[in-house]
Amino acid sequence: MDRATVQRVAKVARLRLSEEELERYAQDLEEILNSFDVLDQAPSRDSFSFNPVPIDDVTREDEVGCDIDPEKLIGPMDTYDGYVRGPKLS
Amino acid sequence: MKGYSPQALLRLNERYSIFCQLIEGDALPDHRFTFSAKDNLCTTEFQARAGSRILEGYRPPFDATPVHRMRQEGGLLIGKTNMDEFGFGTFSTNSAFGVPRNPFDEERACGGSSGGAAAAACLIPGHVSLGVSTGGSIACPASFCGVVGLTPTYGRVSRYGLIDYGNSLDKVGLLSRTVKDLSHFLPVISGPDPKDPTSCVQPPLDLNHSREGPLALPTECLEGLAPAVKEALLRALDKLSVHLGVEVHEISMPSLRFAMPAYYVIATTEASTNLARYCGMRFGVPEREYHQHFNDYFSGVRSEQFGDEAKRRILLGTFCRMVGFRNKYYLKALGVRDLVLEEYKKVLADHSFIVSPTMPFLPPRFDEISKMRPIEMYRADFLTIPPNLTGLPHISVPCGYEGGLPIGLQLVAPHWEEGGLIKTAEVWERHFHYHFPEVSP
Repeated sequence: MDRATVQRVAKVARLRLSEEELERYAQDLEEILNSFDVLDQAPSRDSFSFNPVPIDDVTREDEVGCDIDPEKLIGPMDTYDGYVRGPKLS
Repeated sequence: MKGYSPQALLRLNERYSIFCQLIEGDALPDHRFTFSAKDNLCTTEFQARAGSRILEGYRPPFDATPVHRMRQEGGLLIGKTNMDEFGFGTFSTNSAFGVPRNPFDEERACGGSSGGAAAAACLIPGHVSLGVSTGGSIACPASFCGVVGLTPTYGRVSRYGLIDYGNSLDKVGLLSRTVKDLSHFLPVISGPDPKDPTSCVQPPLDLNHSREGPLALPTECLEGLAPAVKEALLRALDKLSVHLGVEVHEISMPSLRFAMPAYYVIATTEASTNLARYCGMRFGVPEREYHQHFNDYFSGVRSEQFGDEAKRRILLGTFCRMVGFRNKYYLKALGVRDLVLEEYKKVLADHSFIVSPTMPFLPPRFDEISKMRPIEMYRADFLTIPPNLTGLPHISVPCGYEGGLPIGLQLVAPHWEEGGLIKTAEVWERHFHYHFPEVSP
């Protein structure tokens, strides 16, 4: 994988990489992806599962409940006047 | 845990770096037994950081279901065990909060990613550790630390309160010195949990069910083994064959060669989406530089706080699911998982278990690990990945010692047949003496 591709992937993944990291990850990912080429020899399939065991849709009664106090959930976050603080959107 | 005070645990931890957080106080409260939880399981009285700086300071307001169930059984949680960041590693060397040292040789690794869990199980008699496996993170450290490690079927144990690595791969399991402890505690942590739908399809756990028939030994699992590991395996198979009357059939499982790449594609793809939530707002320490554009803010926090292997796997997973590569990697890997599972089912229709060593080499020294390339580390998991990829239950038991270092044997069973694994491991334990390092509390 070339540096430009790593840079593009890092941007999508919200990672800012140094020059040294770009160089190193480009080499690492090239080696790793080359070893994945063996997958091309595996037979292709029209269908596949997302889990190794069948998972049924499990539903429960739609009842109002409160497992965890919202105050406790919001506790670790930086809040002001009941709102969670965050960076600018634009 | 006779003889262990919080102070003794602290001393033990100073030497072996087992725990990233440990119970405090003058004496341990009354308890029926002690247990520990891997740092990626949420508990109310400790931080849950999953070995990552990006979760520094995060203290969950709830217990993970397996932790909750162990407490209900009368267990005392004594600490959170060190691990590779988010489970990303084979040696527990990718942790922000301490690298556990092997109880048999402090210059060597415990294995990963549940390295602290395995060391705790080895060093503290009667202790049971909650571990988590995505691609071998229970079996590998169990092998390197000379303990028994049981990875249940995917969905057997609720994942509620587990910090996700790969949703279709993560499994909570147990490590201890003996299989007897595992047979006691597996029913405790197993069973449906409405908070995790993947746990709600399981049949009842039947520990009385044993499996008969010959063992299958795939020739693919004999490639590239260290001589000492191969010799220990053959001696163990000889013991099983001669003394216990178990036949061993050498077979071929050609699909196993696809398991490693398929696993890393699926695991990193799932991880790259799971880790998107860590952006310096909801968990961990916020950066508070809110004047920045959100893209710069999120990128800054993530770039500073994620470790090297976490970044590598996020990049790999993001790439594998990008437009233009999704079919080649992610969708192909999902199909390969089905293919490998079909081959397993076919072999297990005629055999009781599939047997192999757990790891291809002895616990490596830290200086050896520092010279390994990432792809070499990924390849080291080639024996533990296939059952993990396919969600099959497996157990690692000590089967030999070389130069004082333990070697593990892995047995793989069909889905939901943990009972058979435990029964066979019990028989094995009656005929093979385990060694443990003597460490005074």
